[in-house]
Amino acid sequence: MVDEKKLQEKARETLIRDDVRRLIGWKRGTYGFEAAPAVVTDASQAEQLIFDATCVANPASFIAIEEKKPVPRGAEPDTRKVAVMVKGCDSRAVVQQLVEKAYAREDVVVLGIPCLGVVDRRKAEKLFGQTGAQVSAKVDKEKVALDIGGDVKTVDRSNILMDKCLRCRYPNPLVSDFLLGEEVEKWADDDFADVDEFEKMSPEDKWKHWDEQFSKCIRCYSCRNVCPMCYCVECVVSKLRPQWTRRSTDISENTVYHVQRAWHLAGRCIECMECQRVCPVDIPIMTLNRKMTRDVKEMFEYEPGVDVEAEPMLACYNPQDPEEYIM
Amino acid sequence: MSEEFEPNIVAFLCNWCSYAGADLAGTSRMRYLPNVKIIRVMCSGRVNPLFLLNALQQGADGVLISGCHPGDCHYLEGNFYARRRFMLMRKLLEHVGVDPGRVNMSWVSASEGAKFADVVEETVAKAKEAGPMDQFRRRQINW
Amino acid sequence: MGDYKFARDKLADVLTSLKEYQVFAPAAVGDVLRFKEVTDPANVSLDYDNTTVPPKELMFPQTETLFKYRLGSTEVEPSVPDASKKRMVFGIRPCDAHAYSIVDNLYGWDFADPYYQKRREGTTLVGLACAEPCANCFCPSVGGGPASEKGLDALMFDLGDAYYVNSLTDKGEEFAKAAGLEAAGDADAKAAAKQGEDALKKVARSIDTAGIPEKLPSLYDHPFWEQFSDRCLGCGICTFLCPTCHCFDIQDEAEAFDARRARMWDTCMFSEYSLHTSGHNPRPTRKERTRNRISHKYSYFPEKFDVIACVGCGRCINHCPVNIDILDILDKSKQAEAKEAKTA
Repeated sequence: MVDEKKLQEKARETLIRDDVRRLIGWKRGTYGFEAAPAVVTDASQAEQLIFDATCVANPASFIAIEEKKPVPRGAEPDTRKVAVMVKGCDSRAVVQQLVEKAYAREDVVVLGIPCLGVVDRRKAEKLFGQTGAQVSAKVDKEKVALDIGGDVKTVDRSNILMDKCLRCRYPNPLVSDFLLGEEVEKWADDDFADVDEFEKMSPEDKWKHWDEQFSKCIRCYSCRNVCPMCYCVECVVSKLRPQWTRRSTDISENTVYHVQRAWHLAGRCIECMECQRVCPVDIPIMTLNRKMTRDVKEMFEYEPGVDVEAEPMLACYNPQDPEEYIM
Repeated sequence: MSEEFEPNIVAFLCNWCSYAGADLAGTSRMRYLPNVKIIRVMCSGRVNPLFLLNALQQGADGVLISGCHPGDCHYLEGNFYARRRFMLMRKLLEHVGVDPGRVNMSWVSASEGAKFADVVEETVAKAKEAGPMDQFRRRQINW
Repeated sequence: MGDYKFARDKLADVLTSLKEYQVFAPAAVGDVLRFKEVTDPANVSLDYDNTTVPPKELMFPQTETLFKYRLGSTEVEPSVPDASKKRMVFGIRPCDAHAYSIVDNLYGWDFADPYYQKRREGTTLVGLACAEPCANCFCPSVGGGPASEKGLDALMFDLGDAYYVNSLTDKGEEFAKAAGLEAAGDADAKAAAKQGEDALKKVARSIDTAGIPEKLPSLYDHPFWEQFSDRCLGCGICTFLCPTCHCFDIQDEAEAFDARRARMWDTCMFSEYSLHTSGHNPRPTRKERTRNRISHKYSYFPEKFDVIACVGCGRCINHCPVNIDILDILDKSKQAEAKEAKTA
């Protein structure tokens, strides 16, 4: 388990460094089952940093989207490093961003945190209702104990952790400069059974499912914005010359938006499930991404976000790549 | 049905091999189905899967991407990248419930005029089997 | 105007009798609640907190056609809704109804927007008072309340075995007549009033907005905005789910020879929103956009229309992926010293 005092101490040490300008971690939210990302710039703010099973958000989403603020005349832009606290899944985002050269390894200081799982807000609200209390949650190998405004509730992990945690392949960070806790033993593996299950559906049933799901979409683009791998300065859906996807929310445009986003994430999605967490209308976005992850693994033996030295999957090829349907 | 459904196929042919192959089919007076509308690109590696989605949105019932044989790409590697891309896009569309017969790929070299004619026939046959593209075709529904 | 009631188990009958209206009520779309047209009255339940997507989508839809036109013709075919088509939003919460009154200001300001106004004219709003305010609601702080009548034609109270209905306007009376509601007694009215008072006490969160509209412009250069914008992802979910957010984009869409001009929801949180064709963007980073959003709702809009463009529904707080809490921002804005703003 992570010792919060040690975590805050390490954060303080990091922020005092001359070469670090900000640190991204988590702090207690103003309400509810999720901690808030915290961007701290001064060592005195380190005491607000926490880590527990409410730390769902992916801090790695903030690194590549940091905007270059206008610099006063005569001043130099601040090119110091960004420190970031990451769980296992979050660290894969950092690795994949490094693979894609979104920034250099020297530009970040990674504080890795071995993680035993995080709470799924929707599951928690189904069990305990919405709450205004600032919930904290402790997780161990069997149970999760939530402190909801002084009232402690203990539940089985499988009833409250996010789906991704129940099949977590990488609980320990894959890249880190400092490890803030003891490495944990892997408790699960992923056989992509959910993808196999979905594939069994007939094409008509599959389309019926997606027709229903995509019709709900209000094109808020929250899935895109929260995704650590969606950091293009100009996204293709916002392009007007030419316009690929219209902004109107009919089934044609909504389908193309989701399909193209899943395709752009093929071999890049690191399965942090942030997209599905934030979708206000509950579209099962991960179904598409998981299909791509499974196929990329099977066909090209590639897994994103594990090897910093790897090449991006679509930037390389194997002369023996499968081509069973090609005439 | 009094009129048989004639699918609309959009074909992206690479300039150096497939387009030349199609040209050869024409100059040799080989007959091939007229359903295909050809768009010449310099290399199959240039083809963005968004073209495929856009074509299906605009009324294509099937799409064909054709390039040089692997190892023979005029730009050395373009077709290798295209192969990966369209393999994935095809699987993704299948997962959404779109008939994979709408996404076709072939390797046609500049001397394979006859092969091109065969490829077109097969593509049209697959699109006929899949039926008119209706799922995410742009329709004036909310108009 | 009138006091009415109907038994809880008669809800389906009431809805069935509203044949002349196109009725919208909260419905579960999977696990998510949204206002949908009622097709099966037996399936409607008013036991709900609030919908995720606000009923603003019934008054200004996510996407709507403004007019159609054809290549080769100079005529356009406007798609203005028919105000004589009666619609009803049944079970709308007071905050969402209040939001319509606020947005009315804009859609009737320098241009009378027929698309919005015709829909408004033709729609009857039958509200449902909140007996149990949600964790992040703060409607009383912004001129509303769990039993507020603002913007409503009738207000229902869930009294357990029956619903008490207070009709507030002519449209409300028409609804009561069409539904064949029986008259309510004094006891029912008193129970409803008590529920309203109790609910008001249960609202957990609040902010004193006095002085905020005047103060915010002076904090334009204050660094406190960065505390929040630093973790903003620019996802725009706050604007899409906000009942008072009303910005839209207009685009032309063409299919061969036919085309339409359509408008669809837009958000000031996207950088393209204020991007000029020259490439210059007056709100280049999320700091400017966050500052703009809050200032618009709590300063610029009240300056023009004398009402804060926020109804305290709490959706932005509930759905922000990074817990940017509007009450937190307003609180910090009250504490921020304007003079510190000069030291940017």
